[in-house]
Amino acid sequence: MTTTAALPDSQTRPLQSRFRGLLNWLRRDAIGTVIATTLILFIIGPMVSVVLWAFAVKWQYPSLVPTEFGFKWWSETFRRADIIAAIPQSIGITVIATLLSALVSLPAAYAFARIRFPGRQVFLLSFLATNAFPRFGLYITIAVIFFRLNLIGTASGVIVIQVVNTLLLMIWIPTAAFRSVDRSLEEAAFDVGASRLRVFVQITLPLVFPAIAAAILLSGVNIFYEAQASLIIGLPNVRTVPVLMYSLTNNQLVVQYGAILMFVTWVPSMLLLIFAQRFLRGRYFAAGFGV
Amino acid sequence: MTPADNITRSKRRNRPKSIASGYLLILPALLLVVLIIVYPAALSVIQTLTTKLDGSTTGFTLEQYTAFFNDPFSVTNLLYTLRVTFMVVGLLFLICFPIALYLRFSHGRLASFIHILALFPLFVPGIVLAFAMIRFTITHGLLATLLSKFGIDQYTSPYLTTTGSIIGLVWEGIPFTTLILSAAMVQIDDSLLESASDVGANIWQVFWHIMLPLIKNAVVIIFALEFLGVIGSYTIPYLLGPAEPEMMGVFMERTYSQVHSPLQAQTQAVITFVIAAIAGYLYVRTVASQQKGEE
Repeated sequence: MTTTAALPDSQTRPLQSRFRGLLNWLRRDAIGTVIATTLILFIIGPMVSVVLWAFAVKWQYPSLVPTEFGFKWWSETFRRADIIAAIPQSIGITVIATLLSALVSLPAAYAFARIRFPGRQVFLLSFLATNAFPRFGLYITIAVIFFRLNLIGTASGVIVIQVVNTLLLMIWIPTAAFRSVDRSLEEAAFDVGASRLRVFVQITLPLVFPAIAAAILLSGVNIFYEAQASLIIGLPNVRTVPVLMYSLTNNQLVVQYGAILMFVTWVPSMLLLIFAQRFLRGRYFAAGFGV
Repeated sequence: MTPADNITRSKRRNRPKSIASGYLLILPALLLVVLIIVYPAALSVIQTLTTKLDGSTTGFTLEQYTAFFNDPFSVTNLLYTLRVTFMVVGLLFLICFPIALYLRFSHGRLASFIHILALFPLFVPGIVLAFAMIRFTITHGLLATLLSKFGIDQYTSPYLTTTGSIIGLVWEGIPFTTLILSAAMVQIDDSLLESASDVGANIWQVFWHIMLPLIKNAVVIIFALEFLGVIGSYTIPYLLGPAEPEMMGVFMERTYSQVHSPLQAQTQAVITFVIAAIAGYLYVRTVASQQKGEE
């Protein structure tokens, strides 16, 4: 009697609770599911169309994917004179500007973290200036001066502005890194008679290296892809890859030129950035924004 | 720290020689900021305040500015820029608050997936985004095709409309807003929220009276930086937005490069500086107070 009564009960109860559990899980993660779906559509959707266009030979509406896949446009793209000229120019400007930025910024970061001098805090904050102005307005006022100095249309003009653009990142991230080095390690090395230089090279540098490398990587990618200052300072003689992209985006009958150039330059930069981000957890990462 | 420690430390750090080397090490970077940011901005302020409309210089004149504010076209662009800026910043909070709250209270695969999705735009340069958005949202683009597969055929593309540039600007702002918001929310202790709900506060009250005051700094920084970012933007509104009215960045560029009127462009730039000064001040002040807290 009791066993037969218990049977349907024991069958229904776990089912009910399992059902309730599923319902709860769905209700709770319904929010997550909605957020994830919206973000996939809104964030990933546009990038998917770039990738598809890069490998499309033909893409006619209303096909959801290209009607013909292939590399036909790739050889065309890299035969274009403007693209052939822009890529080495962009890489050259990026390398020089990144090195100059590191040369100017890293000693400053060391000083901000290690030397107590009056006004230190105010000077550190002064590098927020690059963020505290509406950027394009700033470029216009700089362009007016560069015009007088004959720096418009020169690589040096573009390089100077890119160096200034990356100062905040290149100073604040390494400053945070230098500050986080445990001083007692260095003091211990001093105590056993190591020279200043030796302590710096053998103790301090290895500890801050990941953060500095990440800062350099971030700056490099930022410089390579900076379009607005390069547009207003670099033209007409200096045409970097992103500046070229303006014309490949606007009034271009062949979509593939832009898609291929962007795919080829964007994918490596994204991988580098993801790589850099691994070193930049938490506070360091925010320091790059000046926060 | 023992007194002896103190002495050796201050000996090593506070010698006049090391103070001088401190200044010497920061000097090149500081000079760049002064020469390339402060000086051009200041010079533009001075030039626009001392040059008359006919080009002659004088002690002080507001002619450039009265000309700007008497020109309906310029004023429309300015008001339009402000409207777009506030809409983008508002939308960012509206979109990113739920995401950040979700990330604060959920753990697991879906949460980390959402985190990665929200950070993704950080790795996409503005010009690539503009191209991608055009290809995605254009008439007969990927989105239109996708919708038509679900039977929705009345699709109007936002490309070259205000909606188009707002979508692009929001897209760009999502990672920073989510990152800073969720970083601030993670620091709020669970026990604080639990004890508030134990004494009978509902979810809204917990959010409004407990969480929001604790993440105030993050909210101020996001507001300030996104405001500055949008008001100083060029690429997105130029490529995705309408030809008229123009955002101030696009307006300035056209005035400078096509109308060949640098002084007018400078006037427009200085006007955006003045309007954004509050945001710039809020940003620097909040970061300064945070830095002081860390010292």
